Amino acid sequence: MKVKSEQFREVAIEELKTRHTRSHLDVIGLFISEMRRASMGTFPDPSAALELGRAIRAESIERLPELLEEFERNATANGAVVHWARDADEANALILRIAQERNVRLVTKGKSMVTEETGLNDVLIENGLEVFETDLGEFIIQLLGRPPFHIQGPALNIPVQEICDLFMEKGIMNEPTLDPVELGHAARVFLRNKFHHVDMAITGVNFAVAQTGTIINVENEGNIRLTKSSPRTQVSVMTLEKVVPTMQDAMHMLRLLCRNCTGQKIASYVSMDSGPNKGREVDGPRELFIVILDNGRSSFYRDPEVREILRCIRCGVCMLECPVYGKIGGYPYGWAYSGPMGQVLNPLMLGLERTQDLYRACTFCGGCKTACPAGIDHPQKFLYYRAKDVEGDPRYKGKRRPWTESSFMGIFTWVTKRRWRWNLGIKAARPFLNRHVEQGFIRGMKGPVEGWFKSRDFPAMAEKTFHDRMQERGSRESGEPSRS
Amino acid sequence: MDNPSLFIPCMVDLFLPEIGEACLRVLRRLDLDPIYHPEQTCCGQPAIHAGYVKKAKDSAKHFIDVFGEDDAVVCPAGSCVCTVKDRYPDLLQDEPTWLRRAEDLAPRVYELSQYIVDVMGVEDLGASYEGRVAYHESCRVLRGLGVSEQPKKLIKAVSGAELVPMQGAEVCCGFGGEFSTNYPEISEVLVSEKAANYIASGADVLVACDPGCLLNIGGYLNRNHPEKRIMHVASFLAEAIQDGRT
Amino acid sequence: MSKKAKDEILDKLKAAPQTDVPPRPTVPPLNELAWNREERIEKLAENLTLLGCAVHRARDAEETVNKMTEIARAEGLTKIIASEDDVVATLNLAEWGKSNNIEVFTPRDGHDREAFKRIVFEEVQAGVTGVDFAVAESGTLCLIHDERQPRLVSLAPIRHIAIVPVERIHPIYESVTDTLFENREKAPSHITFISGPSMTADIQGSLFKGMHGPKTVTVILVEQTAT
Repeated sequence: MKVKSEQFREVAIEELKTRHTRSHLDVIGLFISEMRRASMGTFPDPSAALELGRAIRAESIERLPELLEEFERNATANGAVVHWARDADEANALILRIAQERNVRLVTKGKSMVTEETGLNDVLIENGLEVFETDLGEFIIQLLGRPPFHIQGPALNIPVQEICDLFMEKGIMNEPTLDPVELGHAARVFLRNKFHHVDMAITGVNFAVAQTGTIINVENEGNIRLTKSSPRTQVSVMTLEKVVPTMQDAMHMLRLLCRNCTGQKIASYVSMDSGPNKGREVDGPRELFIVILDNGRSSFYRDPEVREILRCIRCGVCMLECPVYGKIGGYPYGWAYSGPMGQVLNPLMLGLERTQDLYRACTFCGGCKTACPAGIDHPQKFLYYRAKDVEGDPRYKGKRRPWTESSFMGIFTWVTKRRWRWNLGIKAARPFLNRHVEQGFIRGMKGPVEGWFKSRDFPAMAEKTFHDRMQERGSRESGEPSRS
Repeated sequence: MDNPSLFIPCMVDLFLPEIGEACLRVLRRLDLDPIYHPEQTCCGQPAIHAGYVKKAKDSAKHFIDVFGEDDAVVCPAGSCVCTVKDRYPDLLQDEPTWLRRAEDLAPRVYELSQYIVDVMGVEDLGASYEGRVAYHESCRVLRGLGVSEQPKKLIKAVSGAELVPMQGAEVCCGFGGEFSTNYPEISEVLVSEKAANYIASGADVLVACDPGCLLNIGGYLNRNHPEKRIMHVASFLAEAIQDGRT
Repeated sequence: MSKKAKDEILDKLKAAPQTDVPPRPTVPPLNELAWNREERIEKLAENLTLLGCAVHRARDAEETVNKMTEIARAEGLTKIIASEDDVVATLNLAEWGKSNNIEVFTPRDGHDREAFKRIVFEEVQAGVTGVDFAVAESGTLCLIHDERQPRLVSLAPIRHIAIVPVERIHPIYESVTDTLFENREKAPSHITFISGPSMTADIQGSLFKGMHGPKTVTVILVEQTAT
């Protein structure tokens, strides 16, 4: 997938003006939030349930190498073939080879963010395979060539007229319709044909259970189950962090995932594969390949500060809670992952330089961190990345800040060390700040802060600071540190 | 009980000093004589947020020097309290003596309403205000400190004041410090929705505990709905206290 | 190549600084565990209904088959496929089909994968299965898939009819997984949790059932089964 994270600002401004984006985001937000509250309320102690989820994911990541080895051992004993891939190219080449060795022509895919990360579809298509996304939203955006709008609803913002035109143009249906149900039905009929004749399945993995060597997929539509049932060959791709210690842990995380993702207690279908079929079944894969992909994660795993972002279970609750995402949707983030989880992951995957806006466009409201069932402190990561930028840390491809900013910050912090310096700074700044004041307010100011003033005023700097007023009153002081 | 020391955020010192004066009036109402250390400047949050962690250490160390010996430090700003409690230990991780001092100080730093209700055990300040009040749950106060009931209790105890519900009270107002000037288009949408929700609530005044929110929402109201008021909880209480002493 | 990749990845992970594994908090047991037998049945029925499933009750195999007749008539069914699991086996659907002019396929009628798929994708109007477990916490049907219970029977046809013996109703998911995965070697290769019909709201948030899987799920709760 093409990286467009550097266009965050422009795309965000566009999305703010787009009626469909705004209205859909408002509705999804309200609807899912309510359902989520209700479904989390089925736990006898919802906050303990959240804490347990966080502890499970923290343990999963701390014990990562050991759990991956245990998973591989058990999955292999179940009859699955486990491959490891260091990067996107390796993974794509591996999957292509599996397909070519088996003369695969037709591939159906369950929704998998990791295969968007690696750009797998393009590689397969370039090599002559037909590849169909089968989740309805993913199917639509695949045809449109667009990135996902929203983690739960990749095509939610696309107007029915556009979908109708698209389906007519691509031969998905013969009669035009603007009825979403009829459009969905047209997609069902079209894709059903693909499910029937598919040669190879490609799926992602929601959870990989170390204890039993099982992979688990969660969905509402049934496309993943169909993809896993029809062909003889199944390839399931997981990144390192998908592993959880035990089946009981997986069940608990399953409850948290569904409640936080769509507000449901559980999705329509959960399917668990412990190896390929046992040989006598009339459906299901004879061969199950599990690809464990690294793609940079083992590198940032080395930094305990950022390791915790691997705990993410892709529930999307951070997006539900984020006031920024709630206004701009998924497009501005410019890559496979959006919202706060994308804001912590994309900078590590793509480098800090290319993702400047992603860790700066945050109000620090803390909504993401508070809700996250995996225990990630997103805002703290943003501060960390900003510090890495200032340092110009090459490991993160940090970009040194402009000298104007670093000079200002140097002066600012120097000035905070002594009150007399602070007072001097105020005396110098006041006439400048207050040069155009109307009724006690500044109405406009050119330069880096001018955006504020488009719709807001700002109070003038007080003629007497609080400190001045206290000095005048000669209030009691005690325990002062040494003056300078 | 020893007198608390007043930590006045730079935003208040420079732009909203009346909030500081209101804090004094409110605390004196409790028969406290708040201490003000004139050496205080700024907790360093702007530098920390911009990633200048090495430089921000200077601000943190100065803060710890100024406030380190106080029994209780009270502040009318959730974001500043969060900076001291959550960020200072991170900042000073590699300097054990300073780290210890920061960790030692953290539990003694309070947001104003938290101090009044939880530490002083007071809800009723003997104040009165006739009208409907809406409350904006500043993010750093609500989620940063877990403070929400305390300011609402203080408001409800004001005789004549009716705390009315406001849609989206817990939604961010779009300030976020540097966010509001770096991403003004998004910030503007958030603050305009906050203002619309306030107006729709039918409240006569909007109250909040964080000066950042006040500057943001207040700035928007001043430009677009100058007849609508937003006040800091300290200012609201101070005004409602009939015989406030200074 | 893959071994080299594996070693490289694991070496990097193992070389990283270790931090503590946080202790797990104690959590109270799930409310569902306190339900008695009657409550579990009621809650299952309630949750199934909330999910949009049709719920019928039958005392025994005979009543179950009568219900099947009702359902088949109401839906105008002429061709169905039934799995060969131990629950469905008690109903003798082949007989029933003959008396009701309904063609009842079984997985073995598809002599190979392609023939089976043609039946299940193109021929039949409903798939009938038993269940191995039903989970009251959310109205979830749990199927173990093997040669007698293929995956596609409960998935490809537009209707799924599930026969649920009440003694197979359990309170929570772990009641199922603890049993099934107690011994890894004996664990089933594929199990599904089915909670309601296939659904999506991907187009403008409009709810659509039967996106890829069944549009309707009809459950017959049976008091006594001969399994």
